[in-house]
Amino acid sequence: MKERRSLLFQCLRIRLVEEKIIELYPTDLIQSPVHLSIGQEAVAVGVCANLLPQDWVFINYRGHAFYLARGGPLPEFFSELMGRRTGLSKGKAGSMHLAAPARGVIGASAVVASTIPHAVGAALAAKMKKQSGRVFVANFGDGATEQGVFHESLNFAALHRLPVLFLCEDNGLAVHTSAADRQAFSLERLVTSYGLAYFDLAEGYDPERVREYSHQAVEEVRRECRPVFLRIKTARYREHVGPGEDFHAGYRSAGEMNLWKAKDPLLHPSAITEEYRREISLEIEEAVKFAVESPVPTEEDLLTDVI
Amino acid sequence: MSSNSYRGALAIAMRRAMEDHEHTFIIGQGVTDFKGLFGTTSGLFERYPSRVIEAPLAEDSVAGICIGSALNGMYPINTHIRADFGLLIFNQLINLAAKYRYMFGGLFEVPMMMRMIIGRSWGQGAQHSQSLQSLLAHIPGLVVVMPATPQSILASYRYAIAEHRGPVIMFEHRLMYELEFEDGPPAPEVPIFGSRLERAGDDVTVVATSVMLLEAKRAAQYLEKQGVSVEVIDLHSISHPDYGMVLESVRKTGKLLVADTSWAAYGVSAEINRVINETDPSMLKAPSVSLAMQPAPCPTAKVLEDFYYPDVYDLVDAAARLHIGRREHGVPLPPKQSMRDYYKHFKGPF
Repeated sequence: MKERRSLLFQCLRIRLVEEKIIELYPTDLIQSPVHLSIGQEAVAVGVCANLLPQDWVFINYRGHAFYLARGGPLPEFFSELMGRRTGLSKGKAGSMHLAAPARGVIGASAVVASTIPHAVGAALAAKMKKQSGRVFVANFGDGATEQGVFHESLNFAALHRLPVLFLCEDNGLAVHTSAADRQAFSLERLVTSYGLAYFDLAEGYDPERVREYSHQAVEEVRRECRPVFLRIKTARYREHVGPGEDFHAGYRSAGEMNLWKAKDPLLHPSAITEEYRREISLEIEEAVKFAVESPVPTEEDLLTDVI
Repeated sequence: MSSNSYRGALAIAMRRAMEDHEHTFIIGQGVTDFKGLFGTTSGLFERYPSRVIEAPLAEDSVAGICIGSALNGMYPINTHIRADFGLLIFNQLINLAAKYRYMFGGLFEVPMMMRMIIGRSWGQGAQHSQSLQSLLAHIPGLVVVMPATPQSILASYRYAIAEHRGPVIMFEHRLMYELEFEDGPPAPEVPIFGSRLERAGDDVTVVATSVMLLEAKRAAQYLEKQGVSVEVIDLHSISHPDYGMVLESVRKTGKLLVADTSWAAYGVSAEINRVINETDPSMLKAPSVSLAMQPAPCPTAKVLEDFYYPDVYDLVDAAARLHIGRREHGVPLPPKQSMRDYYKHFKGPF
């Protein structure tokens, strides 16, 4: 029970952070694209609950949830989104390129699937350097599984037996196009043809279930030092990019989404989540204040760190 | 292998990389086979079996794997037996490797080397011959070098591996692999940046890249006997050349000829002319001349290929024209002879 409370706390924290982004967005304090994780928090929180400090996660442009689930600092997060000098990457990254190396969050890319081979390469380095017991998580969406580099990465990781968890957050959409209009292949058959164990979880709304189910996948990577594939079904509540909803656009059904939302523990106010709201809101207000009061970069910062 | 041969210098550079730096590894197609990437990686797999990795035919992911390994403390050397195959890594190279340091505000660095070999002659054709230095030198965050001598290879590969903390692309030229070199001027002080003054002269400045340096030196030797004094600069670092050296030379001679291994449009010659124009266009006493590949994909037939690439004949003609100031310059030209025939060793198959 204590653990369930902790997992729900983290999910709620991510959601409230993103709801704050939605609230702030019309003020133009955040002048960059935001790809919100609302609806997908349980995947990040549940999987990261099984990770150890030495593990690395390679994320993508929809990365707020993983960044926060791994303990990425909140004031520097808001500073980064607002283009402040105190941001994690001094305002040069923004929402799409979050990173917190001290927390094992390695840089996020805005090009779909492009960080998958980075996880494989870091795992290759770990093998060459005889670092044992480390897990390298390649986190990507279902659209990324269509990219050639995904197949290439599965092949290399399997061939060299590397400790990579291929984690597919399957929200069923690539921007506005559903999987049925994009994929002629069976993901399971594709992945297993490379000899990887294939884990598949439908209940991606429940962080406790995700934690329990992904534990075996993570431990198999860690213990056996071999790649494993984990697909977790999830749902993106908001538009692909931006703070709004877009059910009116007609490419997906609000009714179907409501079936999913009915199972979302964060949408069922309980004593567990309600008691945390105030605490989290205070933390968020402080973080936003820190960002708003932080200096913007100067012209001298423009050409630093180029080569 | 001799350190005075281009191939020998490459083999030595690779061996030293493995010997001196335990976190270096080599990955690419053919690096473990019996040919060992034209002999430049031969024997290394036997000595370092875990650090010389035969790559699947999957350039895109292998480049990404190099980035990931660099993030975890390794130094990858990724080879491309033809630079043309390197086009398959442009997403990882341009969108990721070139941006990792800047985009994350200095949180990460990805020290790594890409060896790309430019093919030429023996019917290399349209897809085994491209010289892509200006495409990559266009991108902030990348260091692009075209070593033209064994000394340049030994100095710049050592520096890139031991000292530089970002991605470096080395364009090697297949036509030079078989050649023995005499000692030339030393590499620049920071060997992956800067240029080399190969030969001093007063009448015409020739700025050359890669194998065109050899042709420029042959042209300069020939023209010396005809009373024309040619200064030859090996541009060497394409992304970070020594513009001061180029400008100083052109101020002295007033005449500029750029001889590059690629196309002229938006290329090395365009860039050097831009810098001169933005500095002081009056230093040019005559319109500058660019010698480059013809504006077409590379043909396979030898007779067409000989028209396609500029050579010592074209260099002498252009330099004499610049010096005398008219097309009918009166300087006798060397016999038209294809470079492949001159550098006799280049007989296929490759």
